[in-house]
Amino acid sequence: MRNSFFIILILALIISISGVLSIYSSTYQKEGVWQDIHMRQLLWIAIGLVCFFLASGFNYRKLWDANYFIYGTALFLLLFVFILGIVRLGAQRWLKFAWFNFQPSEFAKLAIIIFLARYFSKKSVNYTSLLSGKFGIFRGLILPFIFVAVPMFLIIEQPDLGSGLMLLFVFVCLLYLTEVRLKYIFTLLGCLVLPLPFFWHFLREYQKQRLLVFLNPNIDPLGAGYTIIQSKIAIGSGGFFGRGWLSGSQSQLYFLPESHTDFIFATFSEQWGFAGSFLLILLYFLIIRQGFIIAQRTQDTFGRLLAYGISLLLAIQVFINIAMNMGLAPVVGLPLPLMSYGGSSVLVTFIALGILVNIDRTRNVF
Amino acid sequence: MERKHFLNFLIIFMFIGLIVGLTNLDLVNGRKFRKQSDSNCIRLISQSGARGNILDRNGEIIVNNIISYDLMVLPQDIERIDQILGKISRILGTSVKELKDSFKKNFISVSVPVTVASNIDLKKAVVLGEIKSEEPGIIVTPKPLRNYPYGALGCHIIGYVNQIDRWRLTKLEDYGYKTKDIVGFGGVEERYDYYLRQEEGGLSVEVNHRGKFMRVLGFEAPKNGKDVQLTIDLSIQKIAENALSGKKGSVVVMDPRTGEVLAMTNYPNFDPGVFVSGRHSQVAGLFNNPGSPLINRAIASSYPPASIFKIVDSCAGLELKKVNTATSFLCQGSTMVGSRQFKCWDTHGPQDIYHALANSCDVYFYKTGLLVGPQTIHDYALKLGLGKSTSFELPYETSGFIPSPLWRKLNKFKSWYDGDTANLSIGQGDCLVTPLQAANLITPFANGGYLVNPYVVKAVGGVELSPKKRKNINLNFRKNTIEVVAKGLRKAITDQKGTAHVLSSLPVSIAGKTGTAQVPRGSTHAWFTGFFPYDKPKYVICVFLENGGPGHAAVVCARKIIEDMCLQGLVE
Repeated sequence: MRNSFFIILILALIISISGVLSIYSSTYQKEGVWQDIHMRQLLWIAIGLVCFFLASGFNYRKLWDANYFIYGTALFLLLFVFILGIVRLGAQRWLKFAWFNFQPSEFAKLAIIIFLARYFSKKSVNYTSLLSGKFGIFRGLILPFIFVAVPMFLIIEQPDLGSGLMLLFVFVCLLYLTEVRLKYIFTLLGCLVLPLPFFWHFLREYQKQRLLVFLNPNIDPLGAGYTIIQSKIAIGSGGFFGRGWLSGSQSQLYFLPESHTDFIFATFSEQWGFAGSFLLILLYFLIIRQGFIIAQRTQDTFGRLLAYGISLLLAIQVFINIAMNMGLAPVVGLPLPLMSYGGSSVLVTFIALGILVNIDRTRNVF
Repeated sequence: MERKHFLNFLIIFMFIGLIVGLTNLDLVNGRKFRKQSDSNCIRLISQSGARGNILDRNGEIIVNNIISYDLMVLPQDIERIDQILGKISRILGTSVKELKDSFKKNFISVSVPVTVASNIDLKKAVVLGEIKSEEPGIIVTPKPLRNYPYGALGCHIIGYVNQIDRWRLTKLEDYGYKTKDIVGFGGVEERYDYYLRQEEGGLSVEVNHRGKFMRVLGFEAPKNGKDVQLTIDLSIQKIAENALSGKKGSVVVMDPRTGEVLAMTNYPNFDPGVFVSGRHSQVAGLFNNPGSPLINRAIASSYPPASIFKIVDSCAGLELKKVNTATSFLCQGSTMVGSRQFKCWDTHGPQDIYHALANSCDVYFYKTGLLVGPQTIHDYALKLGLGKSTSFELPYETSGFIPSPLWRKLNKFKSWYDGDTANLSIGQGDCLVTPLQAANLITPFANGGYLVNPYVVKAVGGVELSPKKRKNINLNFRKNTIEVVAKGLRKAITDQKGTAHVLSSLPVSIAGKTGTAQVPRGSTHAWFTGFFPYDKPKYVICVFLENGGPGHAAVVCARKIIEDMCLQGLVE
């Protein structure tokens, strides 16, 4: 009963500690504020653990009731950041609090999943069958899409194309998991794919660059393609056993940009090689697999959808981030959950994992 | 299939994809990426050694190196580059635009220093070094440069240095030559480039993404090139250059006992320093000069030998006993060969071999030549080192040419007539000889019958090369032949009417032969080749003046050289 708690806790701890090691190795040669960045990450992990324990003890059913409030808060924060957020690295994604910067889009990801799980788990009056299977196109597709599209638009406008598209992806997956008819899903996909050439003009210049560079990094080796090339070199130079901790030249001599955030996988992989990276990917897979197992054995529809949503959120972020590190996906600003430096991401991931554990713990109440 | 199972498979599939990608990067292409990673962060800062010096036979420096300074700028803060170049231009006195142009031209990447000015003298280099504290992006590096203390002296022996050309690069790539290497062209610089050339050493350092120095990984000291010592005697070389200056032609002075070339000079000449300072117009001027100053005439061009070829006839005649000391021919100013009249340059009356050599009587040698026959003359010419390369070590030697009836038949489809024999006997016609071959021709009479192999490099890196040279070749001429010819050559100076009588007033006894070569256009070429002192020959000299007039002109030039050598006490 309680073993899912320990499995998830131990997996998450191993991953986040190796994240701290990688952050330390990629920044220990830098001066000033960079010196203690791994300490800050440790602090975030500690806070995250506390939240994990709290969330695992907090009955997730209460989220059902609070879901409009959560959704509203997320929307408000996104609007707030849209107007007042601080600009860093050319994007307006952060809200400045007393001593840290908060990234509302991380929180919004979780909020939208809670909202969708709640929306699709409404039951008919007699409490026996799901409504979603009988939903027409408006209630099954258009209405939830609008609820997703509003925060998604705000996130894409930050600009954070990666998180926005990821939300869309999670949305499609959840649609698929609930009993919504397949033809609606295909309609949605069709509507999204067909006007892509049209959307091209709405992309920002750097986003277009990144997509083009993804297709061929060598068109701009010192500009947009630089990161991909350096990241591939970092991963590849690790070989089988890696170059050892604190001895990766790509990350330590700063050839690899963002080596402690989005490209932390490359940093890790350079130092620990194929063996280490393989283990890391396996750990991620196990934690996601655990989420799926929890989802499958949960009877409660809301809990099941929530568990699926959280697992998918993790899976998609992990996949896109690692693929982008390897040059298999375009560079989008997605962190690697639990590893990348960043308080918001760590915090939200731990909360999400806590909810997951709680779903498993309370499923028998019903 | 249930929807959740499908999603399950999708996730598994995605993670397998990640593992495949990882395998591809780490295990399949790992080596390639490791190499790229190293080249990312390892920089080689080369330090070049100095090219080997070129010394004369006594160890005096003919060519050495001076230290000059190069100014490089690290293009890290590209925005401030104008400001930095401004400061530099104030010190160097060159315009900012010029500096900017060379900056743009030489720019490779942000982490590689860019050379903006080269060949800066010490004073300015010191000033630049001082502002380095405020502008850390400035780098002043010493660079050895070829220095020619005597200017054009011996330029044809030395050659010059310049950036490697494509043709040489393709040939020499396997020997460690790179683009933009400085290599020798012509002369010793080219032939001994492999020894003279310095080995680059340097630091291998680790840098970060900004090119900022992190730590030293290794150091290899640069190696200087090996010194090359020549057989050239600087004082004789100077005398020869001095005597020749202004007159188109060349002078070769050789030791008849060993074949060591003591002096070799040509005019027009060039200053090899022009290639170092790199002024394009001057370099282009050298290549376009109709006087071809870059050509080492002493070995690379050949001319009709004219009367000096009579030495060959004498040898052939004496050796085959067609003539002897008692043989005498009457010179009436001309003689009939077949139906054609062949003229002598004067009317000499009865001539024996001594007088014929001394007066350079054409009629005597027409007749001797006809007695001996063209093929034999050809063979003796080759025996005496004509018509083939002397295997001299400097590049671009030409072999000269001696015609023969067989050659004529095969290549020109013409028969050989007696008139051709007569022409060959006085060194006209198709006959061609280089000044070095002319000097070589006379050495057997100075050393008792040995053909020498001329050479100019005595030692490389302190190792004597002389023992490795080919031994002198014994011509196996009868002693009598050598003595008679030598006596005849001596008479050219001692005889009142001798063609080189002007040399008789010198304190040293000389023997030699003049020549006046007819050319299709312009005035005649003047030859003098001889040896001295007559009793115990130490020097062989050949003076050749291209379109220099009659042989007398060459004798006058030789006189000046020998006179100066006597004055400096070199002969005794």
